[in-house]
Amino acid sequence: MPQRPYIPPFVFGILALICLSIAPYLVFVYAGIEKEMGLAQKIFYYHVPSAFSMFLGSFLCFVFSIFYLWKRDKNCDLWAACSAEVSLLFGTLVLITGAIWAKPIWGAWWVWDAQLTLTLILWLILAAYHMLRTYIEDPVQSARFRAVLGIIGFLNVPFIHYATKLWRTHHPEVVRGEEISLPPDMKMAFFFCVITFFALFFALLFKRVSLAKARDELESLKTEI
Amino acid sequence: MPLFFTQTLAILHKDLKTEWRTRERLSAMAFFALLVVIIFNFIYEPGSPIIKTVAPGIFWIATAFAGLLGLSRSYAIETQNDCLMGLRLTPVDPGAIFLGKMLGNTLTMLILQVLILPILVIFLNLQIAEALPRLILPILLGTLGFAAIGTLFSAMSLNTRLREAFLPLLTLPIFIPALLAAIESFRAVLTGAEITDWLVLSGAFVALYIAACLLLFEYVLED
Repeated sequence: MPQRPYIPPFVFGILALICLSIAPYLVFVYAGIEKEMGLAQKIFYYHVPSAFSMFLGSFLCFVFSIFYLWKRDKNCDLWAACSAEVSLLFGTLVLITGAIWAKPIWGAWWVWDAQLTLTLILWLILAAYHMLRTYIEDPVQSARFRAVLGIIGFLNVPFIHYATKLWRTHHPEVVRGEEISLPPDMKMAFFFCVITFFALFFALLFKRVSLAKARDELESLKTEI
Repeated sequence: MPLFFTQTLAILHKDLKTEWRTRERLSAMAFFALLVVIIFNFIYEPGSPIIKTVAPGIFWIATAFAGLLGLSRSYAIETQNDCLMGLRLTPVDPGAIFLGKMLGNTLTMLILQVLILPILVIFLNLQIAEALPRLILPILLGTLGFAAIGTLFSAMSLNTRLREAFLPLLTLPIFIPALLAAIESFRAVLTGAEITDWLVLSGAFVALYIAACLLLFEYVLED
């Protein structure tokens, strides 16, 4: 455990704050307006980086879950649980921004597009993970079970990806505004937004972990008294 | 025969024997599946042609929901007289306990499907006689995948505050890709389309999840 647990969330928080104040300039002023989708395309700069953050969070949860079962270190469980929680938050953002984007482009809030369906199912797994924590009293057993679900759940991602792809190709394809090759100005804004969202992700993750640690400490102090 | 498989077969034998003596799990499951099939008919107007296109979905929803009902009892019966503790105390590989239980659940579900398929055919006026041989493999793979994750989670859900009621919340999200494969391949068989892609998907799902559950099951059984 680091000596100053408040430093990493602070550093990433400041970084996220700076990036978040520059990002709107790059998105709305610097990057050009997309020809077909117009202004609606701007949400892409927030939607896709949120999705990246979500997958990063689930991947971290998977890795920490393996480490927990292997080393039985309480901290690994804490990190896994916090990654899943922050991942759930970003997943919610992806779903909301996805629906907002879909409405003007496809004329419907939800069209069962392959990537969005993947996000939705992963979101459900993360929600189940979160619920599992609240429904088990014994903390050690809860940690073990969550680690098992964290591993099983992440292993599901390639299957969901492949299944939703196959499913969509077997059905009438929706017209998808695919950004195959972005012009340099859009690419620049996009990569900046990815960095911004990763900074935000880590700021929230470190903050959440330090909060969880403080809560654990409080619990153990309470039992001492 | 390697010890692991002898142990697996012993567990399987025990489970099937206790089930066969009462048959209460299977009869409850079959009745529930029958109810699901009948209730689904009320969603559409009587005699609507849509019902035939959704028949594979009805079949799988009925068997999956009834399967959950059966799976939740799979470990609950072991809590009587501390049987689970007894199982843990025996020098049996946790993987063998998992595999034995999983095969038991698979067999129970297959029997259920054999019972429910004719009912579906009668109620929905399906013509599946010539497609039947091609249906066996996708149904078998879907059932194996469902039983694998369901067996793992049924041991887990027993320790939650909601007990068996928590099982669907864990099983269903993970099962979605395999369920999609099972329903789509069923539909493809009925329309005579290609199902190789879906079979590859369900096959990989079954292989990976049986392997993962075999490895992870000891962490679930641990006290």
